[in-house]
Amino acid sequence: MDVSQYLEIFIDESGEHLQTLSDCIMELEKEPDNKDVINEIFRAAHSLKGMAGTMGFKRMQHLTHDMENVFQEVRSEKIHVDSQMIDLLFKCLDAIDGYLENIKASSDEGEEDNEVIIKELNNFLAKANGEAPAEPAAPAEPAKEEVADDGNHRLYKEIELTDQEREAVVAAKDSGMHIYGVTVLIQKDCLLKAARAFLVFREVEAFGEILVYRPSSQDVEDEKFDLEFSFYISSSESFEKIQKAAKNVSEIEDVVGEELTDFAPKVVEEEKKEEPEAKPAETKPETKPAPKAPEKKSAPVKKASAGKPATSRTVRVDIEKLDALMNQVSELIIAKNSLVSISSTEEGGFNNQGFHEQIEYLERITTSLHESVMKVRMVPIESVVNKFPRMIRDLSRTLNKKMELVMTGEDTELDRTVVDQIGDPLQHLLRNSADHGLEDTEVRLQRGKPEVGTIFLNAYQEGNNVIIQVGDDGNGIDIEAVKGKAIERNIITPEQAEAMSEKEIINLLFMPSFSMAKKITDISGRGVGLDVVKSNIEQLGGDVEVKTKLGEGTTFTVRLPLTLAIIQALMVEVRDEKYAIALGSIANIESVPAKDIKYVEAKEVIHLRGSVIPLIRLDKLLDLPPHEEDPENLTVVIVKRGDSQVGLVVDDLMGQQEIVIKSLGKYINGNKLISGATILGDGEVALILDVNTLM
Amino acid sequence: MSNNQIAEKESQNSEKEVKQYIVVQIGSEKYGIDISYVDNIVRMQKITRVPKAQVYFKGIINLRGEIVPVMSLRLKMGLEDDNFTSASRIIILKFEDKGSLGVIVDEVCEVVNLSDDQIENNNISSSHGKDSFINGIGSNGEQLISLLELGAIVDEKDNA
Repeated sequence: MDVSQYLEIFIDESGEHLQTLSDCIMELEKEPDNKDVINEIFRAAHSLKGMAGTMGFKRMQHLTHDMENVFQEVRSEKIHVDSQMIDLLFKCLDAIDGYLENIKASSDEGEEDNEVIIKELNNFLAKANGEAPAEPAAPAEPAKEEVADDGNHRLYKEIELTDQEREAVVAAKDSGMHIYGVTVLIQKDCLLKAARAFLVFREVEAFGEILVYRPSSQDVEDEKFDLEFSFYISSSESFEKIQKAAKNVSEIEDVVGEELTDFAPKVVEEEKKEEPEAKPAETKPETKPAPKAPEKKSAPVKKASAGKPATSRTVRVDIEKLDALMNQVSELIIAKNSLVSISSTEEGGFNNQGFHEQIEYLERITTSLHESVMKVRMVPIESVVNKFPRMIRDLSRTLNKKMELVMTGEDTELDRTVVDQIGDPLQHLLRNSADHGLEDTEVRLQRGKPEVGTIFLNAYQEGNNVIIQVGDDGNGIDIEAVKGKAIERNIITPEQAEAMSEKEIINLLFMPSFSMAKKITDISGRGVGLDVVKSNIEQLGGDVEVKTKLGEGTTFTVRLPLTLAIIQALMVEVRDEKYAIALGSIANIESVPAKDIKYVEAKEVIHLRGSVIPLIRLDKLLDLPPHEEDPENLTVVIVKRGDSQVGLVVDDLMGQQEIVIKSLGKYINGNKLISGATILGDGEVALILDVNTLM
Repeated sequence: MSNNQIAEKESQNSEKEVKQYIVVQIGSEKYGIDISYVDNIVRMQKITRVPKAQVYFKGIINLRGEIVPVMSLRLKMGLEDDNFTSASRIIILKFEDKGSLGVIVDEVCEVVNLSDDQIENNNISSSHGKDSFINGIGSNGEQLISLLELGAIVDEKDNA
């Protein structure tokens, strides 16, 4: 079976299950006895294992299987959840994530067996079963050398009967026969296991009838079993006789069993059955048991995509959104048909009412169609921020600080492209907060703050923007220290430092390779820092701002456009060129008499309702020849970013319009001022001004 | 066609690899552009200036709903600025990694087939200290055609 076509689904779903696991384990850490959470974990681990098995990722399957076993014990209250276990579980998740990353990159899970983790898992299991940790008898211990160990002998006990089988067994028992459960172990170096099994069956069938086979007789015939197989036999003879007969077959290591009397349906969890199947994964390569099948499966996957990344970017779409789209498309077709019929029936009658009605109809449809398509592209930021609680937990350990992450607005939606790329910057800001922001516990207590530091991530929509605030209640930024550092590094002179506003100094933090960390840690301080955060966010058309109060905390406010593709814009004219300014960044539009222009430091400003706003002449900025003399009144578009405002002098306003943003491509560069282009109704091209670069 | 014949034909092809070139006029010279890179040839249309772009970029055009940057080959090669005539054309080149790019030429003359033995590799290193945009000279009868090295034209390093 070629499973490569399912690879994308597998990757998607595994990611989701991993996330569920991570969330639940965090939950479990807080409430170790929460049954619902344990069950949820169990389910997720089980699906993960099943999927990995189907796809032929043996290592991943093995690891998840062992993890699942541990949960099984937790569920049956044999093991209690402790922090050691939580740590181990997180290690497992990381390992599985590692497999998943490998699969994403190359369609192959890689070579890492993660034996250490598996061993630790089994130690937990062993403890649960009241055995010494190193004892390999635990159900899922990699059965390498100790195949003949006790733990494997009683497999017949674990046989779960189907109703039919149970009927047969009970019937045989009622007719006065003895029922024996038997497990036969074949020698490790046996080459023809199926043949040996056949001989065993033939020998024992001389004494009675085999009622139940595990694995099934077909599987035994096909050699789809490891070194042991089990069966139930009904016989009037003693067990010893049967055992002896079976042992007479050569290359049989051992035969164990006993008479069974109780056939009440066992409450055995389904995963127990899978143990014998999972074990083969560990056996020597020359014994080719169950893994045969998975191996065959995985081969075409590898070939098909020889090392190529397996993923394409996908968006999961709510079926309702698609239905809405479909409806609108059908309406569009109807509108088109009406137009066709109008044009064919009423020659030259293009001025008639019907035609105009249809145009209006068409307009309405395209607008809603456009909205629907946009909605399809929107995904909640949940997928990105969900991994943060785990990260903060780990950071809390590494940094030895108590901290807590409070998140709100995880359901805020953003364009898929933005969501994909916002993860790293946010992660960086959170790490910053954890490492630099929050004080050590003692310092916090001294300052009368709660012992546990709070890091928050709030997301919400504001107009055409999405705001994500990341911050902490820690130390805040020490302006003087930043100043000192900047002078020390010759970034600014002491004189400059004096003249700089607090805000300007904080902005120094966004300069390349400016790190405030006193020592370099794994977490931060390598100088690849806020500048990267800033440039990443700016690439997405957003910006980042800092607010801080020494001793009280720092907040980074990330502002992102709701979507990258389509915006509302004001079209302006400068000479005969047309430019678009995003409506979201426009504060207001003023007509300013030329005589009202004042000068501050030889720069033009206007005084407007109590605030002084610097003027920028767009013609000059865009290298156009200046007017010979100013008109009486200047049209000024006042744009804002955060608290700063700038007035742009334009020649004329053309009005508001919805524009589709197109990239200028990779050839034209060095142009931060122009963020893209758009095609107007008449086919003309207008450039989009990124006014954020002006402030 | 029998297998023999196919094999024969193939061997011929490998002996004399024939490539098609679009011959264009820029200034007094004729240049050849490898046709496999050419997506389209369009008439001169309104080019929207992009302020602060590299000087040899004339701007961008709307090519059936797509934004395509347009470069002046004359300016890129250090010749005098274009003088658009009715013969001027924009050749749309397509590169796998960077997308489409339009280049302005004075005139599109013809398409020629040049086999390997008609092409002389350009060993004369550029004497002006500038990187050369030519990777060979093709001779088509009397005509000499300078074959453009498109990689060098797209490359930003030389003139930026």
